[in-house]
Amino acid sequence: MTLTTPGNPTPILDDSSTMALPDTPRAQVLPWSSTLARLVLGGVWIAAGLAKITDLEASVRAVRAYALLPEGVVQIVGPGLSPAEIVLGVLLVVGAGVRVGAVISTVLMAAFVVGIASAWARGLRIDCGCFGSGGQLAPGADPTYGWELARDGGLLVLALFLLRWPAGRWMLDSVLTRKDM
Amino acid sequence: MANKRNNPMVAARRGPSTAVITGIVVVVLFAAAVGFGVYRSQQVASGPAAVPPNATAAGVPVGPASAKATIDIYLDFQCPVCRDYEQQSGATVEQMVAGGQAKVVYHPIAILDRFSTTRYSSRASAASGCAAASGVFPQYLKLLYANQPSENGAGLPAAQLVSLGQQAGATTSDFATCVTDTTYKGWTAGLTDQSSKAGVNGTPTVKVNGQVIGNTDAALRQAVAAANA
Repeated sequence: MTLTTPGNPTPILDDSSTMALPDTPRAQVLPWSSTLARLVLGGVWIAAGLAKITDLEASVRAVRAYALLPEGVVQIVGPGLSPAEIVLGVLLVVGAGVRVGAVISTVLMAAFVVGIASAWARGLRIDCGCFGSGGQLAPGADPTYGWELARDGGLLVLALFLLRWPAGRWMLDSVLTRKDM
Repeated sequence: MANKRNNPMVAARRGPSTAVITGIVVVVLFAAAVGFGVYRSQQVASGPAAVPPNATAAGVPVGPASAKATIDIYLDFQCPVCRDYEQQSGATVEQMVAGGQAKVVYHPIAILDRFSTTRYSSRASAASGCAAASGVFPQYLKLLYANQPSENGAGLPAAQLVSLGQQAGATTSDFATCVTDTTYKGWTAGLTDQSSKAGVNGTPTVKVNGQVIGNTDAALRQAVAAANA
């Protein structure tokens, strides 16, 4: 793990290891970055889920507007997405099962990016429906695919970051695992 | 030096156990299943919606059934661009209907409920169903646009939806009851769902014989002329 060369008392990190020592700057920053990523990603999931859960029919219309999924699947994904988003967000915020949550977030976010890019490529005029518009554009509004892709792309990066470095401060996982040891 | 017990990196490197993976996936899927269940029960509970007399489950037809051109107008009473369209092309549509060149099917859908605190889109659409039942839908539509509430406000109160209907000629007490009870809210939900299935993702959307046309008067005249050629 750590090598101490004779002429140099400072521990040198093995390059292949992510196991940073607590006293290196990286080891100080990484857990907090992971915590921040969890709070941002989880917070967005909760906000997106809450915005949609009060109108499940609009959520169905939003999924349908992409014209990508068959009607039977639309009626499952539409109402199922918002409660799943809320639960996923809460799990991430409290830090329970972070790596699994990061995998699910990555898959979902990648699917949203594909959906929005596909809508853009096909020249559809829709709202992404991410925060409960039912997929319909506001009157007189133009699609904002570029911004939506940038936002979801950024969140996808956060999810991938958590997938690689799930361990952070203030998380339930570390409390539970410590008890196991 | 490195205290492995307190270093969160160490614990995470072992990866989550199968139980954790299964647990998290099950919890997320369970939440999705609850959402689906609630949605299904809402669909079943609403049952087949009451359709206003003089209307169909697809909308409010106006004009001679034999006309060669069918104009479908998808509109939301909260939508300012729909009001603009009515001011721009309402008279044109009227002439075409009077001249027998076209019939119109109005689809008063409710997709802008989030732009009022009282789901005005849905309430106004349901009230327009009451107007259709009283045979005054076209007049009522004009009055609703003329009195359109601003976005992100409280919308028009039920009392005003009733008085505008009376102004349009719906003078029976049935009309007032119909509006205040939102008798045709199920009809509105059905129209909205159908429009979504028909690929309508914004208002106003205007179709002539099934083809979406631009929201200009010229495009309307051209499409209707072509249908009558």
